[in-house]
Amino acid sequence: MRKVTSYLVTFLLANIITIGAFAQNVTINGNVRNSSTKEGSGAVSVIVKGEDNGTFTDDKGNFRLTVKKLPVTLLISSVGYEIQEVTVSNATALTQVEFKPSSALGQEVVVAANRVPQKIMESPVSIERVSAANIRNSPVASYYDVVTSLKGVDVTTSSLTFKTPTTRGFNGSGNTRFNQLVDGMDNQAPGLNFSVASIIGLSELDVDNMELLSGASSALYGAGGMNGTLLINSKNPFKYQGLSVLVKEGLMHTGANSQRAASPYHNWSMRWAKKVSNKFAFKINAELLQAKDWQGRDYRNYARAATGGSVKAGTRASDPNFDGINIYGDETTAEIRSAVLNAIGASAAPFLKNFIDTLNGGAPINVSRTGYTEKEVTNPNTVNFKLSGSLHYKITPHTEATFAAYWGTGNTVYTGSERYSLKDFKMGQYKLEFINRYWSLRAYTTQENAGESYNTTVATRLFNESWKPSGGATGWFSQYSQTYLALRLAGATNADAHTGARAQSDVGRPFAGSAQFTKAYDSIRKKPIKTGGALLLDKSDLYSLEGTYNLTHLTGKWVDMLIGGSYKQYVLNSEGTLFADSTGSIKISEYGAYMQLSRKIMDRLHLTVSGRYDKNENFKGRVTPRATALIKIKENNNFRVSYQTAYRFPSNQQQFINLGIGSNVFLIGGNPGFREFYNFAGKPVYDFDALRAGSITAFNPQNLKPESLSSFEAGFKGLMMQNKLLVDVYGYYGTYKDFLGRKVTVQSAGSAIALSDTLNGRRLSIPVNSTDKVKTYGFGLSIDYRLPWNFTIGANVASDVLKNVPTNFVAYFNAPKYKANVNLGNSGFGPGNRLGFNVAYRYQGAFLYQGDFATGNLPVVHTLDAQVSLKLPKANKSVIKLGATNLLNQYYYNAIGNSQVGGLYYVSFGYNIY
Amino acid sequence: MKYIAKKIKIHFLLAIAAMMFILSACNKNVEQFATPVVVAPAGLALGETIATIADDSLYYRMIVKGGMLATINNKSNIFTMYVPNNAAMRQFLVAIGAPPGQPDAVYSGFITAFVPAATAASIVSYNMIPQSITTASVPSTFPNWFYPTHLNPTTGTPGFNPLVRLLTFPSTRNGNWVNNIPLLAVNLAAANGVIHTAAAMPAPPQKVLAQRIFADADMTYLAAAIQRADSGVAPTTSASLVWVLSNFGPNITVFAPTNLAFQQLLTGQITLALIAQGVPPATAAAQAAVLASTPAVFSNPALYPVLTPTTVKGIVVYHLLGTRAFTNNFPTTATSYQTLLNSAVPSHPGVSLTCTFTGPFVSAATIKGIANPTASNILINPTPEPNGTSDQFFVNGTIHKIDQVLRPQ
Repeated sequence: MRKVTSYLVTFLLANIITIGAFAQNVTINGNVRNSSTKEGSGAVSVIVKGEDNGTFTDDKGNFRLTVKKLPVTLLISSVGYEIQEVTVSNATALTQVEFKPSSALGQEVVVAANRVPQKIMESPVSIERVSAANIRNSPVASYYDVVTSLKGVDVTTSSLTFKTPTTRGFNGSGNTRFNQLVDGMDNQAPGLNFSVASIIGLSELDVDNMELLSGASSALYGAGGMNGTLLINSKNPFKYQGLSVLVKEGLMHTGANSQRAASPYHNWSMRWAKKVSNKFAFKINAELLQAKDWQGRDYRNYARAATGGSVKAGTRASDPNFDGINIYGDETTAEIRSAVLNAIGASAAPFLKNFIDTLNGGAPINVSRTGYTEKEVTNPNTVNFKLSGSLHYKITPHTEATFAAYWGTGNTVYTGSERYSLKDFKMGQYKLEFINRYWSLRAYTTQENAGESYNTTVATRLFNESWKPSGGATGWFSQYSQTYLALRLAGATNADAHTGARAQSDVGRPFAGSAQFTKAYDSIRKKPIKTGGALLLDKSDLYSLEGTYNLTHLTGKWVDMLIGGSYKQYVLNSEGTLFADSTGSIKISEYGAYMQLSRKIMDRLHLTVSGRYDKNENFKGRVTPRATALIKIKENNNFRVSYQTAYRFPSNQQQFINLGIGSNVFLIGGNPGFREFYNFAGKPVYDFDALRAGSITAFNPQNLKPESLSSFEAGFKGLMMQNKLLVDVYGYYGTYKDFLGRKVTVQSAGSAIALSDTLNGRRLSIPVNSTDKVKTYGFGLSIDYRLPWNFTIGANVASDVLKNVPTNFVAYFNAPKYKANVNLGNSGFGPGNRLGFNVAYRYQGAFLYQGDFATGNLPVVHTLDAQVSLKLPKANKSVIKLGATNLLNQYYYNAIGNSQVGGLYYVSFGYNIY
Repeated sequence: MKYIAKKIKIHFLLAIAAMMFILSACNKNVEQFATPVVVAPAGLALGETIATIADDSLYYRMIVKGGMLATINNKSNIFTMYVPNNAAMRQFLVAIGAPPGQPDAVYSGFITAFVPAATAASIVSYNMIPQSITTASVPSTFPNWFYPTHLNPTTGTPGFNPLVRLLTFPSTRNGNWVNNIPLLAVNLAAANGVIHTAAAMPAPPQKVLAQRIFADADMTYLAAAIQRADSGVAPTTSASLVWVLSNFGPNITVFAPTNLAFQQLLTGQITLALIAQGVPPATAAAQAAVLASTPAVFSNPALYPVLTPTTVKGIVVYHLLGTRAFTNNFPTTATSYQTLLNSAVPSHPGVSLTCTFTGPFVSAATIKGIANPTASNILINPTPEPNGTSDQFFVNGTIHKIDQVLRPQ
């Protein structure tokens, strides 16, 4: 092993040290400008034809390049412009290049599909690309939302800044089946297990591009990525230079249906990048967002069940056991006949026994405590601050070393099994990276700190206990029951007796927002869960080392070859508040290696085969193969077929979570250690749902396995009508196996299991693999058309369908059968082509949303976003934009219990935007 | 041509934009459920209904006199009302002092003039159950189904407790009853409850069992036996029989042997005990008769070894049922029921009860102890105390006098 390592080091050093020893003695000074607007074009590639000597223009379009001798032919290229060749014979004069915007489609280069650069038209799998220009012209307020308009994408919006995209179904607020990589780093919060790119990621000005791989992608990117992978890449300071500033000021919560008084939206960002020399460059980014968040205000009544649940009729006034979806604290419930009244009838007042027995017609008298709305218990201010920077040093012309740091903090709300307020959440990602034209080596760490994040439901339930305990002789339920009984004895109707009882037992209930309320609530949310509070103390980390080597320069005669490997270690540290780590942190190691072989056959067929092996220390190793074929029908018209596989290990939470969520319910991990901890041998667990149905069925937990997906896909991408029409279509069929879900079990409160344990027993929600195979299929179709005068029109439609779902199986598919986008825009018209606009419409079909927090039917959603922009003359690429997301302020949800999203109207000023 | 093409394109783009706008203008909210609207029940309220019934006019006058009309006409309140008809009211009014044989107008005036408002309110409240109870929901199990009434005996007292109520005892055994009063008509629905017509006035009880037992000249042996049974027990605890018989809360049936019944039993038992000690039978019988001739027999130290507190308590509790049974609740064929003795001897077979109806009324009833050769007769006379001997109604129970002491073994 040591020998192999030393060979590898020698090999790498040899590449680094291969420094061009030739003399460079002629310097060309030039400028590239847009032939239409006459503005300097930044970040344009200027390469000496036939050589790998090149540079980029700065933010004013200037470049400086040293060559061996004159004349030379320069190749000028940038996405969105026609490639241009310029011959330079004289170095004394400024070389002025008139760069002509191109109207051709499909010219982008993508990396994600095969981990090597290739034209998007030749990608063997479905991929979408968002460029900085797309972001610039998009009407949405956050660049992250541009993903929403891509073909086949579903988004779950937890709050203004917490959005979770995915493709091909199975979305949720914290999606663990969709990878997000930011500059190559896995962006998931190591403890919380979901990606947080929307809050702890790149700032808008620093985004170079986003690439979305739909469907299974483990063969290249490892565990996770069952449903897709989103890669977000930042701008390299060698290429994108200068100071850029973007100020957005907006307005939210307007109109008659608004959640609160109209409030401002502030979003300021800046980027400063400088190429100090041909060898050294750096950049600094900062972004601050502040607004009053969208709110969850679904106050409908909810029938909570162990798995799944349903919305039902009833209000606080009409249902004593009301449990509002976005009302917290009312989850605490009791059947007051058995909890209180029977005891009165048995001893204190035996003469009331028959009366008590026949109250409510003999049916259970379930009563819930009075809750507080989300608005009352969550901080309305959402703040998001991102700070990042990087140092880039070219060790050789072909080897760039980068040290980069990304740090973010903020307040937001997300939905897991409950609604969580992420308060002062912080996450930093730090990486050291070497990129050579043949290989790359990247080491990074993710440092998470949940700050003062807390479980809103638990906090509010505990708050209720703090001002008046539920149990006990003078507790809330006792007071309620006695008042209810007294009122019934006085002849009051059932409804009036409940109303009176609630009023009596709520005497002294702190008013939301009062000093008493705030003081008590703060003390609970700041107290760790294990000491009876609601605070999450998550300081989990991730350490990762990965490398790739492209051996094509050695093997290219026969086959293009790419190999790579990775090592990851999670260090879970929640001090017992989230994981079973009260005695010390939990370390989980994963490693993997992959190889990809590809070969073009007669310029018509491009075959690629790849495979990846991964091993998690807690699970058996896993091989995921992938095979693709790209068949060239004619230039820029390709047919593609692929077989892809993906898998994911049970998430860290599915392995090690140990979280009491109230009412004697615990979410626990699938690690076998839990069986001992909860004494399964002495206190067996039983199927909770079966017990509720009257059947005692023992539950024998099995060791967890990774869930996996195999998927077949076929597609076509082609340019037609003089390259003005781009058509992309795909269809897929996938099979999920060992699907990971949860099973609710119950342990007896007494010596033997009994029906009463559905109320009194300890309920343990245990992760399980489903033995059923679940199948999905779907298609996507997009059309983009370039009209004259810079008008563009695009439309896409996609469908995802789940089939073979066993009865009572909660799959959390969460995708509408159909979704569609239409957009119409113009990136430059009017005087000097300085005006622009974009109108985007999105349709999302109705579907049943299934979540641990709440399940219910979501209606059809239509949204309209729009922007108009003006490029200022005589200012360095300065743009004023007037934009609106959800222009018509039609409030919508895209998950039950999540925030309801309304219109956001903004005006932005951008300086040096490119 | 070019111009036309341009126009078409612009119109096409405008049409697309308009379509987007129109589609987006119609987001629906998540599915909503109708908010239940609370509306007052239709129809006449209880008081309004009673006002329409001519045969209930006297009771309506009681309702008015007691100031209860607003309560029962409030449709936010739900009650079951037992309403004695005018014949029953006349009988009741005569019993409390009204002249007999008068037209109803006279009785109506009597109520207005002579029945205290508080009394009227108590009577009406006692005949109200704070639930809508039709006979279909009243079981026919032994002995009856007890419900709290609207009458709270602690109202106006320092020990007011909103959960305390006097009880009433509906039953559907052997017909429809409230306490031991037959119902003439049942289940007349009103908007806020239901009305049953009673054949007599269900009057609220005024006293506790102990007040009768310790005052009745024909129950002095029983009283003495109870006190003997309580020897060594603090009278302020629920272990004390006196406490049980004196307090609100317990709900029991007392089969009270007359003094003669006790004398007969004690004489016989003491005679046998003396003969066993070698006393000649004639002498023994004479001595026994003297010993048993007064209730002091239970406090005679000479008899302490025989009449131990445990023995006496065993006999006394064998005469107590843990529920309240009126004779009309008894089975018509002999059936065994447990007594309070079963709390000490769970397997004891209890006592056997039976009753005989003549028309709608009980004409005979018996109870048989397990060791008695014959059944004891319940002395049927349900009239109020002091003369009544059966179905004597008290706050905490019912008393039936019987002509034999029940023997558990």
